[in-house]
Amino acid sequence: MRLLVIGLDCVPPEFVFERFAMPHLRALMRRGSYGPLESVVPPITVPAWACMMTGRDPGALGIYGFRNRQDYTYEGLGIANSTSVREPAIWDRLSATGRQVILVGVPPSFPPRPVNGVMVSCFLTPSAKSEYTHPATLKPELEARFGEYLFDVADFRTDDKAALLRRVFAVSEQKFAIVRHLMTTRPWDFCMFVDMGPDRLHHGFWKYWDPAHVKHEPGNPFLRAFPEYYAYLDEQIGALLEVVGDDVAVLVVSDHGAKRMDGAICVNEWLRREGYLTLRNPPQGIQRLAPSMVDWSKTVAWGEGGYYSRIVLNVKGREPEGIVDGGAYERLRDELIQGLERLGDEQGRPIGTRVYRPEELYPVRRNIPPDLITIFGDLSWRSAGSVGFEQVWTHENDTGPDDANHAQYGMFTAAGLPLPPGELSGMRLLDVAPLLSRFFGLNGAE
Amino acid sequence: MEGFTVWFTGLPSSGKSTLAGLLSDALRRRGLAVELLDGDEVRTVLTRGLGFSREDRDENIRRIAWVAKVLTRNGVVAITAAISPYRAARDHARQAIGRFVEVYVACPVEVCIQRDVKGLYARALRGEIEQFTGVSDPYEEPLQPEVVVRTDVESPEEGLQRIVGHLERGGFLAPGMTNVRVPTYLVEQLRRVWGDGAFEARLGEALAAQAAAVEEPLHEAEREEVLARLRSLGYVD
Repeated sequence: MRLLVIGLDCVPPEFVFERFAMPHLRALMRRGSYGPLESVVPPITVPAWACMMTGRDPGALGIYGFRNRQDYTYEGLGIANSTSVREPAIWDRLSATGRQVILVGVPPSFPPRPVNGVMVSCFLTPSAKSEYTHPATLKPELEARFGEYLFDVADFRTDDKAALLRRVFAVSEQKFAIVRHLMTTRPWDFCMFVDMGPDRLHHGFWKYWDPAHVKHEPGNPFLRAFPEYYAYLDEQIGALLEVVGDDVAVLVVSDHGAKRMDGAICVNEWLRREGYLTLRNPPQGIQRLAPSMVDWSKTVAWGEGGYYSRIVLNVKGREPEGIVDGGAYERLRDELIQGLERLGDEQGRPIGTRVYRPEELYPVRRNIPPDLITIFGDLSWRSAGSVGFEQVWTHENDTGPDDANHAQYGMFTAAGLPLPPGELSGMRLLDVAPLLSRFFGLNGAE
Repeated sequence: MEGFTVWFTGLPSSGKSTLAGLLSDALRRRGLAVELLDGDEVRTVLTRGLGFSREDRDENIRRIAWVAKVLTRNGVVAITAAISPYRAARDHARQAIGRFVEVYVACPVEVCIQRDVKGLYARALRGEIEQFTGVSDPYEEPLQPEVVVRTDVESPEEGLQRIVGHLERGGFLAPGMTNVRVPTYLVEQLRRVWGDGAFEARLGEALAAQAAAVEEPLHEAEREEVLARLRSLGYVD
C-alpha cells in the first residue's frame, strides 16, 4: 500500500484537464478519478497545503496566511513555518505507525521536522546555508548529486524574462530529479513533493500567454511559455510514473487554481479615503504602510496587501491605541463589509468582492485571526497595502509586476485511491486528508 | 430562493435515508424550507396500495416526482429518498422537475445485505419477498448522476459534505454559504459515532498535544530572508 503525491502549486483544473496536451496525466485520469478541488479561504499556498495534509481549516490551524499576527501590537506579524502547524499531518500519523515517508518541499516545512524517513524543506527555507533536510546527512548527499538546492525561482522580479523562464524550468527539473533519486534509493510508503514551478510561471508569464490580459502584447516571445511548460511538466510526471509502476497509488493535486489578474485594490488607500484610516502626514509617493505612519488615535481599521486582504480593526483594550468600542465593533464590520463589497472597478462596474467574518469561515479560530477577510473581485483583483496611490485601483502591483492571481479551485487526479472512477465534482481540499487516512487505514479523528 | 430537488437513488439499505436526513437537517439549519419525501413513508400515504411490479414502481416514482415538482416550483427544497430503480423513471422526474440533482448512493449489494437495516434482504433471499431490488428485481445505475456517494467507503458526513459542495457550486445554495461549518453538529456526530467516553478521551489527547506543541519563530536574519522572498513573489507587500 504505497502512495505518491505529486503536488503542483497553483494548477487550475482547466489547464490540465482541457487546455494543455498532457498525455501522461490523461492516462492517469483514465485509470482513476479526477476533478476540480475546492481550496480553502484564503486559497494561498500557506495555509492551503497544510490544510490539505492535516484535514484542518485555516482557523483550526490558526494559520491565516504567510504572515500571522503574533500579538495585538501593530507590528507583531510572524511568518508561518513548519512549527506553526500544530496538528498532525498525514505523514506524522504514518510515521507514528511505522510507515516510511519521503517529503520534498511541502510548504511550510522549514525547519524540517523529524519524520520516519526523509524530509527536504520548502521554498520558505531562508537559504541553502540553512539546515534544510531531515536527517541532516541528506543535505550533503543531495548537494553532491544535484548542486545547490533550488528552493525557489531566484530573482523573480527581474526584467530578463527569458532567464526567469529558464529558472522556472530549472526549479521544476531539480525537484523532480531529487524525488526520483529519493524514491529509488529509500524505502517508502508515502512520497510527496510540491513543485512551485507552475505558480511562478503563472505569476510571471500570464500576460504573455493570455490575449485577454490587460497587458498582453500580441506576438511577444513568450506566447508558448505556458503550453511548453505544461508539456514539460507532463513529461516529468510521466518519467516519475514510470519509476513507480502501476501498483502504487498516485495523487496529482494542486492547492488552488490560477486566473488572470485584472488589477489591485489599494485597500489602505480606500480605508483612508473613507475615513477609517488616518495618516500622520500625507504619503510622499507610493509607500508601504508602516505602523509609524499611522495616527492610531484616529484610525478605525487597516489592511494587508497580498492576493487577498486581511482587515484589522483598532479595538479599544485590544490594540495598544485602540479606539473602536466593543459595542461599535459589529456595526463597523458590517459597514466595512458593505463598503468593500460595493466597491467596483474604476468604471463603477461591480466586481463581486466578498468580505468574510472569520467566524463565518472557521468554526474554530486559533491564534489571532484578522477581523475581516476580503477577496476582491472573485480573486481577479489583488490587494495592495501601500498608500499614496492616486486612486483606489491600480494596474501596477506595488511590489512589482504580477500577472495572475489565485483561483478558488485547484485540481486533483487520483489512481488507486478509494474514490469512484471518472470525473468527480464536489471534492474539497479538506477531503484529501480523510481520503488518504482511509487509504492507509489510519484510525481516529480526521 | 428558488426551489430544487435532490433525488437520492440506490439499493435498499444503501444509505439513502441517512444521507437524505443529514442533508435535510443541514439545509434547514441554513434557513431553507425543506421537505423530505422518504420512500417508506411515501408508500404509507401518497402511494399506498401500490406494489412492486414495474408498473407500480413507475407509478410510485411518478407521484413522488409530481410532489417534488410542485414543492420545487414553490421555492421548497424537495429531497426524495426512494430506491427509484429504473433509469427511465428517474430521467422523467429530472425532465419534469428541471432544477434537479441526482445523487447516486452507491454501495455493493453484498454490503447492503450485511447491513439489511429492515431485515428485508434476509427475507428476500429466503424467497419470502418477491421482486426485491438487488435480489430479484433489477436496479439500473444512473449514467450521469450529479453526485456519487460511496457509502461503503465514505462516512455519511463525508458524503453530505460532497453533496452540499455540489449544491453550492451548482448555484443551488446561496453564495456566501460556501465555507459555513457547523461545529456543534460535528461534535454531536462524533459523540454519536465514538460514544461520549471516547469523545472526551480523544478531545483530551488532542488538547494535550496542542498544548505541548510550541511554535518557534524564525531567527531575525532568517525571517528577513524569507520575508524578502515572499515580497518578491507577491505573497506579501
